[in-house]
Amino acid sequence: MFELLAQTSLNAIYAASYISLVAVGLVLIFGVMGVINFAHGELFMAGSYVVVALYADRMVPFFVAVAAGLIFVGLLGLLMERALFRPLRDNPLGGLVASIGFLMVLQALAVLGFGVRMEHIPPVTQDVIRFADKISIPVARVYVIVTAFVMLSALWYFLKRTRFGWALRASAQDPEAAALQGISVTQTAMIAMFIGAGFAGMAGALTAPLISINPHMGHSVIITAFIVIIVGGVGSLEGAVLASVVYAFVHTFVTTFFDGVLADITGLALMLIVLIVKPTGLFGSADRA
Amino acid sequence: MLLELRDISVNYGKISAIRNISIGVPEGQIVTIIGGNGAGKTTTLRAMSGMLPLQGGEIYFDGKRVDGMAPHKIVAHGIAHVPEGRRIFPDMTVEENLRTGAFLRKDKDKIEADLEDVFNRFPRLRERRRQRAQTMSGGEQQMLAIGRALMSDPRVLLMDEPSMGLAPVIVEEIAVIIEEINQRGLSVVLVEQNAVLALELANYAYVLETGNMALEGPASELHDNEHVRAAYLGL
Repeated sequence: MFELLAQTSLNAIYAASYISLVAVGLVLIFGVMGVINFAHGELFMAGSYVVVALYADRMVPFFVAVAAGLIFVGLLGLLMERALFRPLRDNPLGGLVASIGFLMVLQALAVLGFGVRMEHIPPVTQDVIRFADKISIPVARVYVIVTAFVMLSALWYFLKRTRFGWALRASAQDPEAAALQGISVTQTAMIAMFIGAGFAGMAGALTAPLISINPHMGHSVIITAFIVIIVGGVGSLEGAVLASVVYAFVHTFVTTFFDGVLADITGLALMLIVLIVKPTGLFGSADRA
Repeated sequence: MLLELRDISVNYGKISAIRNISIGVPEGQIVTIIGGNGAGKTTTLRAMSGMLPLQGGEIYFDGKRVDGMAPHKIVAHGIAHVPEGRRIFPDMTVEENLRTGAFLRKDKDKIEADLEDVFNRFPRLRERRRQRAQTMSGGEQQMLAIGRALMSDPRVLLMDEPSMGLAPVIVEEIAVIIEEINQRGLSVVLVEQNAVLALELANYAYVLETGNMALEGPASELHDNEHVRAAYLGL
């Protein structure tokens, strides 16, 4: 029993790490832009396809492909900011609808470029770290956990300790007051979009060798991310990370001990319970929601 | 004139908020704009810092035309705005709020010196430097908003209702602070509903009524003006 619990916990930590990357990006974009980015799952998908194109098809080293995924999808984020969200500033509903349109464009481009078949790409490494007879973790998953930890720490440092990090948080809390401090809200919007989209792309790129890739994979990603940011409290980065861990543990344990469908139901039920008991989420405050 | 508004008009949609307002702020002086609710005081101040587009007129700062510039560009010229309702960043610490005020500055040593200066001026901000700003009292938040504006090393400070919602004791404290800041050579534009306080502090005063300039003159003269006494001082 102990082995099973330990093994399931390791699986949950892996899930929590990439879900955090996606959810934190979504929260960052919502905070600074005031827009719920429905295309976030497709940004994850785009990151996966960067790895398909570079690592699987062109033998580019895996981590170079992951970095390319971060940058390419970050640039997609900048494109969204410039083409969609900037003209629709002060119109959050318009931004939301535009992001739905953009997700369809990305899906169509993925179908055009790669077809609708599932992509399975060669594993980066077959190595497995064994802790005990029945407790082990594939090194490929360790890569995801370590990278997520490093990137989330870097983001935390950026937001709490640097001038531009303060500017980003200031714009999220009060854009007009931020402008009065000399902060260009357009500039902070671009930074938030690059980081938010880039993190989703990196999560997709990192997990690409471990999942099956197809143009419509973004759906489950965005649903998970929504549950997580609602549970964590919309607008709270710490909440998003904590809720990712909670969700990943609940989902992984229910999947292991019961089945996957029940796990999805439990995840949604978790969101409903939080909405009933504490509508602002675990870390959210009323004035920010 | 350090800051000069020439005949400015501002509309909200089709509704005219202020019409043909001209205001001059000489270097080193305190100028106040008084008037009732909806007279256009805040609108005038927001136009100065670029938050509202002008329907007509021009704004000059130190000889340069600044109307039409984005708010974040105007700050760079040396105009700092302490907005109505303080508008501090609630989830950031006191120190982060203050350092954000110095966002545009590159002179690291001077920033540290100015931060020290703000902490000396407002000892309570030093005590609470690691505390989240939203946990502070209204008076402390007002001090933080003033401190944040000072951190941009401005030449003119625009203050919108700094006394609003504060206890009389704190209002007195804020008044002393405004005088001290001014004595250091900083020009101040003070928008106030508290006309007694405003006329006491200011060198020169403008009276706005429903978007029009009703009256202007040295603060001491307006203080003795019968209309002002009846309408704004309750005498």
